[in-house]
Amino acid sequence: MRRLMYEAQRALASPVRNPRMATVIGRLLGAAFLICFGTGLYSHFLQEPLDWMRFATRPEFLYQVTQGTHIIAGIACFPLLLAKLHIVFPGLFAYPPVRGFWNFLERASIALFVGASLVQITIGLLNTYQWYPWPFPFRQVHFALGWVLIGLLVIHIGVKLPTITRYWNKASKASGDDDIDGGHRADHHLVDAVSGDRGENDEAARLRGTTRPGGLTGRALHYIDSTPRAASRLSRRGFLTTVGVATTAVVGLTAGQTFTPLNAVNLFGPRKKGVGQQGVPVNRTSKQAKVADAAMNSAWTLTVAVAGAERSFTRAELLALPQTDVTLPIACVEGWSQMAFWRGVRLRDLADLMSADPETSFRLISLEERGSFSKTQMGREYVRDPLTLVALELNGETLDLEHGYPARMIAPGRPGVLQTKWLSRIEAIES
Amino acid sequence: MTASANGSRHGSAGVNVGVTETVGTGLNPPPAGITASTSRRMRTIRWALVGGGVLLLAWGAFVMFDLVRLTRIPGVALWIAAAILLHDAILAPIVFALGIGLRRAGRRVSGTVIAIVQGGIVVGSIVSLIAVPTIVAKNFAPANATVLPLNYGLNLGIFWIVLAALTVGLSAWAVMRERRGSGVRLQDDSER
Repeated sequence: MRRLMYEAQRALASPVRNPRMATVIGRLLGAAFLICFGTGLYSHFLQEPLDWMRFATRPEFLYQVTQGTHIIAGIACFPLLLAKLHIVFPGLFAYPPVRGFWNFLERASIALFVGASLVQITIGLLNTYQWYPWPFPFRQVHFALGWVLIGLLVIHIGVKLPTITRYWNKASKASGDDDIDGGHRADHHLVDAVSGDRGENDEAARLRGTTRPGGLTGRALHYIDSTPRAASRLSRRGFLTTVGVATTAVVGLTAGQTFTPLNAVNLFGPRKKGVGQQGVPVNRTSKQAKVADAAMNSAWTLTVAVAGAERSFTRAELLALPQTDVTLPIACVEGWSQMAFWRGVRLRDLADLMSADPETSFRLISLEERGSFSKTQMGREYVRDPLTLVALELNGETLDLEHGYPARMIAPGRPGVLQTKWLSRIEAIES
Repeated sequence: MTASANGSRHGSAGVNVGVTETVGTGLNPPPAGITASTSRRMRTIRWALVGGGVLLLAWGAFVMFDLVRLTRIPGVALWIAAAILLHDAILAPIVFALGIGLRRAGRRVSGTVIAIVQGGIVVGSIVSLIAVPTIVAKNFAPANATVLPLNYGLNLGIFWIVLAALTVGLSAWAVMRERRGSGVRLQDDSER
């Protein structure tokens, strides 16, 4: 077993599998994880704010940027994580597999780190495709795994800190050819020295003091040994270039769904700018929300309730109030965004009409009876913002049913799920 | 026999490179593996990081059990285990075998060309990893026409053609450059 593990590590030895490379790719991946975690938390608290929380309403494209970044960094994690795993792969064959209690904990934490990272970016990506082939709820698991991963990242940095500091700067690259596993690094130096001489496998066997394993394993190892080894510097450069190009490709060919300059090369983004009713993509449809009948009913009214007083507005009455034009993006948690022109009544004007206290937050209730976002809250900073509208028109036309006809919310810097469609009732939350 | 063989490997290698002072920087545990050369400050920072990380991890576990129904948790564990298996037992060996195959097939080709072809295959595979699920998911009739609106199969085909053309072009350029003997030998040998 020990022999097999050593042979595996030996066969896997490669110029790119060294601690310097692990540090270089690792810090990029770590940065991507931190960006995902930070933007993810921001998105989470926008949707489920704690009582004391207030949010910035400017710049009005703030959420478009934070959530677009969340998805872009998440997609960049695919090449970066695979590269990192490629670099440290020989560490899997460390022998003995466990060298004590702490070593066991460390290896267990790395296993969990690897598995949870792969699951996290996979379910995140598939969520943007609205494809859910797993047996657990996405939002809750994605949120919990975020904490788990950031904890494991911090532990990992703590454990590897000497390696990280040693190989942080290029200056130490001279010793960067050391292999990943410090405990067995010495073996690889010998291995490299030996395999530097082509066709000296007998010599290698003599040095090891034994014959190679026989049978199929032996033949496989001999086959691997007789393969030409890649040149060091070229391999490292090629590896880094490949990781860079792959990251640029996956990001560049998908980010057009939120980042307009890349719209033309949006080949693989799950959304496309301008594709949808009135030029705006749709997330939840009227059919999914089962609101078509109620929304198209001519008896529809919007009820505004403040401090016990209630008033209902027909669509005609809303249209008769002063109208405001705003240019605001719809920005979805799934990472896409679409700039649009909205016309409607300022929420602030409606609140003032009902003499609401400017310090009050509001609850927005949709015609939709089920669904996690059929009732949402809006903090006072959005209620008082002059850009926050009860929108009646979109891009110069009457709001499409799929965009929330008869009336929907549109506010700066909020996720799409909080831009309540098919509004039915707006009520002040009395404190 | 095995033990003595191993001993000799360690012995000669230690003489060769003298990296023994770095033991403890690899997969070793934080407290036990630290040698005298590690400063106290480093040890404090490492303990603080590990401690803080454990707290965050514990909070994550709490959030998981708090938000997700108990009957769903095994599903999460199963996916994590499957992801490890998928990578370590399937994906990584395939990549290893492909690397071997490519280097053997390219015995007579310059190292630069092998690196370019290898890079092309890796870039194409990673983009496909992102793109193929769109093709699959589109078959399940997305909730509305604005989800996955593009022809992803066609786009992926175009991408591979462009990538192949770029790979061939770059390789040809590299070969020409080497033939011209510009003096720069790209195919350096192992530095040892």
